[in-house]
Amino acid sequence: MREILSRLRAAGGGLRAAISRDESNGDQLATDGGTTVTTAGDDTLRKSLPVEWELVESAPFWLPPVLLAGFFVYGAIAWNFLLSLTDYNGLGGATYANFDFSMYARMLNDGAFWHAAQNTVVLLVVFTVLCLALGLLVAILIDQNIRFENSFRTIYLLPMSLSFVVTATMWAWVYNARSGVFNQLLRLFNLEGLLVGLLRPAGVNAEVIQWLSWNTTALAAVIFALIWQFSGYAMVVFLAGLRAIPQAHYEAARVDGATTVRMYMRVIIPQLRASAVSASVVLMVFALKAFDFIYALRGSQPGANMDILATMMYRVAFDSLQWAYGSAIAIVLFALALLVIGPYLYSEYRRGEL
Amino acid sequence: MSTGTRDYVEELRDMDNSRIGLYAVLLFGIVFYLFPVETAVMTMFKTQGEFARTLPFAPPSADGFTLSALATAWNTLRPGLLNSLVMAIPATIMSALLGSLTAYGLTTISWRGQVGVVVFIIAGIFIPYQAVLVPLAQFWYQILPGLLNGFVNTVFGFITGGDWAYPSRNGYVQLFQLSITHGAYGIPICTLLFRSYYQAISDEMIEAARLDGASAFSIYRNIILPLSLPMFAVTLIYQFTQVYNDLLFALVLVNEPAAQVATQRLAALTGGVVQSFNTTMAGAIVAAFPTLLVYIVFGEQFAKGVAGEN
Amino acid sequence: MAQLTLDNVTKTFQDDDGEIIAVDNVSVDIEDGEFLCVVGPSGCGKSTTLRMIAGLEDITSGEIRLGGQIINDQPPARRNVAMVFQSYALYPHMTVRENMAFGLEESTDMPDSEIDQRVEEATKMLGIFDLIDRKPGELSGGQQQRVALGRAIVRDPEVFLMDEPLANLDAKLKAEMRTELQHLQEDLDVTTVYVTHDQTEAMTMSDRIAILNDGILQQCATPLECYHEPNNLFVAGFIGEPSMNFFPTTREGTTLRADRFEYELGDETAAAVSETTNVTLGIRPEDIELADSTAAVNTFEAVVDVVEPRGNENTAHLQFDADADEQFTMTVDGMTSLKSGQRISVAFPEEAIHLFDTGSGEAIRNRTLDEIETVESVV
Repeated sequence: MREILSRLRAAGGGLRAAISRDESNGDQLATDGGTTVTTAGDDTLRKSLPVEWELVESAPFWLPPVLLAGFFVYGAIAWNFLLSLTDYNGLGGATYANFDFSMYARMLNDGAFWHAAQNTVVLLVVFTVLCLALGLLVAILIDQNIRFENSFRTIYLLPMSLSFVVTATMWAWVYNARSGVFNQLLRLFNLEGLLVGLLRPAGVNAEVIQWLSWNTTALAAVIFALIWQFSGYAMVVFLAGLRAIPQAHYEAARVDGATTVRMYMRVIIPQLRASAVSASVVLMVFALKAFDFIYALRGSQPGANMDILATMMYRVAFDSLQWAYGSAIAIVLFALALLVIGPYLYSEYRRGEL
Repeated sequence: MSTGTRDYVEELRDMDNSRIGLYAVLLFGIVFYLFPVETAVMTMFKTQGEFARTLPFAPPSADGFTLSALATAWNTLRPGLLNSLVMAIPATIMSALLGSLTAYGLTTISWRGQVGVVVFIIAGIFIPYQAVLVPLAQFWYQILPGLLNGFVNTVFGFITGGDWAYPSRNGYVQLFQLSITHGAYGIPICTLLFRSYYQAISDEMIEAARLDGASAFSIYRNIILPLSLPMFAVTLIYQFTQVYNDLLFALVLVNEPAAQVATQRLAALTGGVVQSFNTTMAGAIVAAFPTLLVYIVFGEQFAKGVAGEN
Repeated sequence: MAQLTLDNVTKTFQDDDGEIIAVDNVSVDIEDGEFLCVVGPSGCGKSTTLRMIAGLEDITSGEIRLGGQIINDQPPARRNVAMVFQSYALYPHMTVRENMAFGLEESTDMPDSEIDQRVEEATKMLGIFDLIDRKPGELSGGQQQRVALGRAIVRDPEVFLMDEPLANLDAKLKAEMRTELQHLQEDLDVTTVYVTHDQTEAMTMSDRIAILNDGILQQCATPLECYHEPNNLFVAGFIGEPSMNFFPTTREGTTLRADRFEYELGDETAAAVSETTNVTLGIRPEDIELADSTAAVNTFEAVVDVVEPRGNENTAHLQFDADADEQFTMTVDGMTSLKSGQRISVAFPEEAIHLFDTGSGEAIRNRTLDEIETVESVV
């Protein structure tokens, strides 16, 4: 061992000599002793070198993927904004000229846009709120030390693993006016006539509920199906939040004499704020992306009752080839998303969570 | 003494009642979350007449049973399934690998100001894809072919004779473009998933490795990568599901019928004029099959991926 | 060859509120083969100092030299130091063998057979050869500790750096490992810097102790010097368990006037403190003696408050008055019985007292050391 040691040391010494030939001569720091050390070509002190070194060292790992994702995400958004300022439409290449906000002005006078925007906001708010409520309820139920907890959780989350196209196909059948589950069950319990009377829009003459076409039900039907698909997600997030609350809090509330309901209302649910915030951000983003579902349900022309900005953008750009107008609608959609995630990311950053 | 005993018994009975109620509600939850899937499965085995006649969730009668709807759906979707897999698997691996590298460079090796880069990349998760659609189409169909044509015909002009053209209409090229696109847009979420995992890795261990003389690459290769295998499982499964399930990018980037992915084919099947729900349900189940299989086998990892998205 | 020198080493961190000085102008020379303990309360800068030597923190100003070479800007791996971490920092997915070989594989081009041989030698030395193919998760805390040591040993470094390596062990194992570490260090004769917050560990293991407080080096001396001749109030209070008793006093001529007593100084002692008015009198608990009466000079009456029996000795908490808050401690022989509430006479022998300048904390006069008794070896 000793022998190896001395050999290693000799090697190490050579290595050190090689490294210490540092060319830098700059900013010598004042060390009050001014001790001189006699070693050949010694390196001088450089302030904060390791920090720069770590940046340089880490760059090969993160820089290429960040540039790639940055190009596809931010590069494309900037490009999209540029396109929204042009008059680009029809077949053929884009002409980058006549930059103005005419497409945005056109939006203001476009009834279809206001319809889609209104539906988007309603979908966003109602879907998110109900999803959170249902997810929270289910999470609390699952958190009661039940048996087969994993099986329940797996089943509740299953719709989320399915494609929007798949779930839309299934729900189209569920909502089918003639033989779908809903109407058949209503018929079974003699409720169909009653509901038809309640829900039928003026001027319509049908005897069965047209869930997906009536303006009274179309958006609600979409929201209901989306809640079915994503409340499992809210449940998983809330369940993680519940599990992070120490058992002692439950016990303390019990000792204080709180009933179960009061314990949840006053002690447990207030502690789930962070879970609720992060779940709602993700859910809102899902709602903004609900394009696939509506497209699979009704194609690119879902009608004014169900049209959202995402479907309108696709229709305007890729069906009508009005690229600039489509880009402008996309920018509005992006601004909406920014409104949701901007404050969220900022608060996460402030709390040091990123 | 006796009152105490009675209280206890009553309490137990009440608790039992509430437990029964709890399980009843949870079972109703199963009905709620599974009935669309269950009706789909039942309907796909029914004949045209049968599914119009019976309750959707009831099993088919002996006369009304058929496999022809499933066969039709399978034949329609089969090429799409293959295309989906060919496209989604490389995209998923690309996102996971690049996400892991990014997270490593932005977490384990720490340097001042990296949070800015993290925010920059994480924000990419939440972008509505509509905001990039038109430029994406422009990029893959106009800009890139133009650049490549110019480059190839200039540099290899002596071979191509100056009239080489980027095969934009080739199905495989379109699938490749779709795959790269998904791979790039998957980087932010994969980075986030890996980052939260790497934050939990002991700093002292990384320091020990640095003292051991390991380079940044060696630390990644020998320590981080082996330790993140469980996280790779989570990320691959989650991301595969996301890519496989997507319709929007495929609609925009793939227009060759032969290259269409499963979701596109299913959407076309559903949008048909004749509403043969037995065929469309069979299509839905066939299209959902790969992700359902992944979900049933790796449900735990999928749940972790989902929970990591916040 | 492997003399390690810290020369005016300073480390500052930027914080939201400005600059924080973690290590302030620390200079220490550590001789080849020496075992130096760096000790101090948490947050005193001891770990930062160690990490600067390792190269895990950059140095704001000053120099660190190893064998005469400045190593300030060298990356950790090139410094030829090995570190043992408090958490052991073992690689969980590697076996003991792989854990120990990793450093040699990464930093040398030694052939595999030689690496293997060295790893096996080291595991035999540490008594963990049987565990060589296990993973850290399958080992007990003490065994993991040995692997962490082994990983440092196989590197054959010029300096061992140890950051509270025994802190996660239980008391019995800790005592065992303490002895073992000492033997190991003596056998290998490698310069060692050992960081701990535990002054007992520092006293028992080291050749010299460097005591840090608030980033400032208070004293660097042998354990006995630190104990008997502390530089200042901080060192006097930090080293020794139970701590030294301190009484703030005002000097009037040759008399030290405290709240509850007056202390008469001899001529020689008085001369030493003649320029200071505010003097803190310090005396170690074991130097306080029981007296028959308060008749003699510097003998006081005290009331026993609480007695903590420790077997070989008893620690008594005393008060000058039953209702006074101010307490001081004395240790008496284990067979000496003291009872709570008992009034006793205690003497503060002048040769045992320490005097400090209350303002600056500097020691003015330390106790005069008794002759150290040497024991004749049996031939």
